[in-house]
Amino acid sequence: MKKLVKKVLCIMLCLSMTVAIAGCGSKKTSKSGDGKLDMSKKVKIGVLVSDTTTAEALSFRKYYVDYIQKQYNVEFVYSDQMKDAAGEKSALDTFITNNCKAVISFSSFDRASQLEQCEKAKVYYAVATGTLTQKEYDKYKKYEYYVGAVGPSLELEYQTGYDMAKHYLDKGDENFAIFGGALPYYTEMHIYRVAGMLTAMIEAGGKDANYDGAKTKDEVIAKLFKAGSVSTGSIGTIQVLGYVGGYDMDDAWNAKCKQMVQTKGLQILLAVGNGSDFFGAAAAKAGVKVASVDAYAKNYGDAMQGKMLDYMAGKFSASIGPIFIATYRATLGAPLHNDKGEAIALDQGYWVAQNNDEFQKYYKVDSSIEKPAYTKKMLDKLLKADYKTFKEFVEKYKYEDIQTIGE
Amino acid sequence: MKDSGRSMGKRLVGILAIPVGVLMIILILCGAKGIRLFATEGNWIAFFQATATVMITTIVLSINLNSGRFDFSIGSISLLSSVISASICIRFGLATGPMLLISIIAGAVLGLCSGVVYVLVKLPPIIISLGITLLYEGAAFTVTNGYGVSFVANNELVSFPSVFNYIIVIVLCLAFAIVVFDHTKFGYDYKALLSGQKVAVETGIHEVKNAIICYTIAGGMMGIVGFLSATNTGTIQMALNFGSISIMFTAFLPMFIGGFIGRFCNEKIGYFIGALTMAFVSLAYARLNVHSSVQQIITALLLVGFLIYLNNEKVIKNIFGFRKRRAEKNYEV
Amino acid sequence: MKVDRWKRYFANLTPVIGLLVLMGAFFVIGTKEDINITYGLQTIINQSVVVAVVATGAVFIYTLGSFDISLGAAVAVSALMGAISYNKTKSILVMFLVCVSVAILISLFNSVLASFFNLPVFVTTIAMLSVLNALVLILIKINGTGSQIAVPADAVMDLDSLGVKLTVLILFVIVCIILFNFTSIGRMQKFIGGNATCAKLTGISGSKMAIVAFAIAGIGVGLGAFLTIIYAPTLTKDTASSVGMDIIIAIVFGGMPVSGGARSKIYAAVIGAFSMTFLGQIMILLNFNSGIGQMVKAAIFIIIVYIASSNHKNKLLPR
Repeated sequence: MKKLVKKVLCIMLCLSMTVAIAGCGSKKTSKSGDGKLDMSKKVKIGVLVSDTTTAEALSFRKYYVDYIQKQYNVEFVYSDQMKDAAGEKSALDTFITNNCKAVISFSSFDRASQLEQCEKAKVYYAVATGTLTQKEYDKYKKYEYYVGAVGPSLELEYQTGYDMAKHYLDKGDENFAIFGGALPYYTEMHIYRVAGMLTAMIEAGGKDANYDGAKTKDEVIAKLFKAGSVSTGSIGTIQVLGYVGGYDMDDAWNAKCKQMVQTKGLQILLAVGNGSDFFGAAAAKAGVKVASVDAYAKNYGDAMQGKMLDYMAGKFSASIGPIFIATYRATLGAPLHNDKGEAIALDQGYWVAQNNDEFQKYYKVDSSIEKPAYTKKMLDKLLKADYKTFKEFVEKYKYEDIQTIGE
Repeated sequence: MKDSGRSMGKRLVGILAIPVGVLMIILILCGAKGIRLFATEGNWIAFFQATATVMITTIVLSINLNSGRFDFSIGSISLLSSVISASICIRFGLATGPMLLISIIAGAVLGLCSGVVYVLVKLPPIIISLGITLLYEGAAFTVTNGYGVSFVANNELVSFPSVFNYIIVIVLCLAFAIVVFDHTKFGYDYKALLSGQKVAVETGIHEVKNAIICYTIAGGMMGIVGFLSATNTGTIQMALNFGSISIMFTAFLPMFIGGFIGRFCNEKIGYFIGALTMAFVSLAYARLNVHSSVQQIITALLLVGFLIYLNNEKVIKNIFGFRKRRAEKNYEV
Repeated sequence: MKVDRWKRYFANLTPVIGLLVLMGAFFVIGTKEDINITYGLQTIINQSVVVAVVATGAVFIYTLGSFDISLGAAVAVSALMGAISYNKTKSILVMFLVCVSVAILISLFNSVLASFFNLPVFVTTIAMLSVLNALVLILIKINGTGSQIAVPADAVMDLDSLGVKLTVLILFVIVCIILFNFTSIGRMQKFIGGNATCAKLTGISGSKMAIVAFAIAGIGVGLGAFLTIIYAPTLTKDTASSVGMDIIIAIVFGGMPVSGGARSKIYAAVIGAFSMTFLGQIMILLNFNSGIGQMVKAAIFIIIVYIASSNHKNKLLPR
């Protein structure tokens, strides 16, 4: 009897799922065809985030949920934390289930697959705080549902690392250590930032300076891709005294971090990611300056104030405003394309704080949900803007430039 | 008297063979590469910090695991208790002493809750601990809005790491564990339940009370681990979807080493020596710059190798004994 | 007496009822939120199938009263080896065979190591977890391009269909049900899980049965690896990293006792895997933040498992 009831229940379950799948037809995405921006209907937008716990991801979420969602008739559906391409695909499936008309992606395990999936499902797809590789862009730029990308290109990542190292080299510092973040996992943006740092050192290191025989940017990048780590030693007159990569966070890794910071003679620790949280306390004791690439979060402000952090190239939370507008426009039937009718691909860099005052000034604006860096009034200008205006707006990403945009 | 001396010598050899053996191998490897194992003060601090956290985690793991209670939640207790204590201390400007105290209390309360749920719902502890882990990780995330806690700039709170402080923590925790588990009624009951649950209960030992106390002590001690980890870097990173359980895996090898050494001395001292051994290994990984994948393989092989020895000790001894006898015989011939 | 019987019925049916309730909640909330239910169900199958297949095989290990924490890592290594072999041979069949063979080899290695050296299975699998995770990094470093090993999406696109996935799942579940319920393998395994000493005294070899259980679980892992590749052909260091814990949750959620024995059931894995996915989908529908969502999930998990186990309590605390 008991077994029979169970079997019947199981069969009912299977049947109900099969019938539901077979019986219902798929819904088509509706698109307004008259070119007018009808914003009366609430638009659901999926946000694909791989790590929900980083300062950067949380700042971006705050801007979307606490500001944009209240200003526009949109609802953001956030993905759960994910670790691989299967997680991305699964989250996109969930967005499609939720009738999201568009997806803004912060995750990059398999961008090509994300794009294909969204195109197939007729869901607009946009890349935030990143760009596609040239090869990928050439392949997907004509896709109907590919909105485009706004964020730092690999070239800009390289420049960020270069500028960071140059800032200290110009001051005469010669002894560096590098925290490579996800370099051992071959994360391109981290490799490019490190390449920028090393190239700046080669340039400053004197006539015969080289990194493991590499002298040019491309050669350095190739070396890093091959090794998956940074070699310590001399680059002409400049010294790379220590290197730690990865995020193992175990006792051995912590010991490595500590010993690197306490290397005799070390002056500067250049981190491709969050440097102050992992090294700040130890670095302050050892009198080592820490430079990071991350976001404008409160804890980094505290670290800057407490001299645990000396330099910050940070993404500002409102930087994801323009890609939202481009995506929203697409869902309203007014997609934005470049002059050739292709998806947009715009470079947008970091706000660089070289001292505490600068940091606090940027943070004040960045953390505001009443008057963030990009307010609704500013973004509204982009709703019907042509490509040139949009591009100019995005490219004026520096703090001072944004102040000149005005409302 | 002579026998006693021999026995004492044998015990000392049993206690020290593993850590000294491991240290010798490490020193030889470091020597071959021209590296000093303890080159800076930072190396000493890292070594004692690892010894303290691994020792306490091992004791905590063993408290419940020895009683057949597998507890995935110890990492999440450490996470949430440190989040609570750090948040309170930052808000009210408290120093490290209060932070440690709050961590212990928060950990004990969280452990208590975990124990109460276990005895109330009477589900296997492994299941309860899965639910509790998710619950506490979620709570830590919610309390901090996902940002975690960072106090790198708080000179007072990050001033804790020092060899002296870690030694004090190690000594106090070890003494506490030895006294509570070996010299109190609770400890005797615990051991009775450990060796024969049914018989112990039938003789009137209050199993529920004992289990709840075990969870509370384990929680309090994980509060200390949370405190040590947080003050080591000045930050508490969030973990979701069982991200906090990895800390538990660091304790298995020292637990088995400790179990073996425990034959020659108090088991808790065995755990301390197990943790000390692992701290040597961790420091060696750092000094020799061993790649993390190689570290994982070496640690796993050490674990398996040691377990193979422990579980086949008689067979191994027989083989060696046999060879010895045969060698003697051959000599006679 | 009659009340007790009904209580027992209810408790035994709780996982199935739990799944039905979660399904119902998904339909109700989904309709209210105007979601695409059809696509949602396809999504749920896609999201559940790998865990369901691997967990179904793992039931054989759980029935013995053991458990294997390295299954997720084994899926990753098998999938990576499968992907490498595809990239070398361009043959899906070879990829499939490599996935399954590697998974069985890993499983057998686990069980033989444990049986031959009398090691506790769980601890052996903890060590294997480290080894397999390290192997993932090494395989990607040696054979990968940058941080990944990818099979061309076009190659597996046709296989990425519900038909293929459900066929694999259903066939595997049927085979497992037959082995578990209608052959001596299942009976002996339940016997060992229920009382290992008695089983030994009646001449059942615990070691042999462990090897059989791990081999069947290995097949599940291999199939899971294959399904992982066809769903998302780009494999990275964290591929399937959540599968290990998901399997444990799914099996328990489905009403399988962790102590194994006579109350073990094959369908628990499938029920549990689908329940988990429905629950996850509901959390997203309710748009909770990650922390609160996880807390709610934990509470529902404990409640369902509590009700399911409510008629198997005794005076002593369970271990």
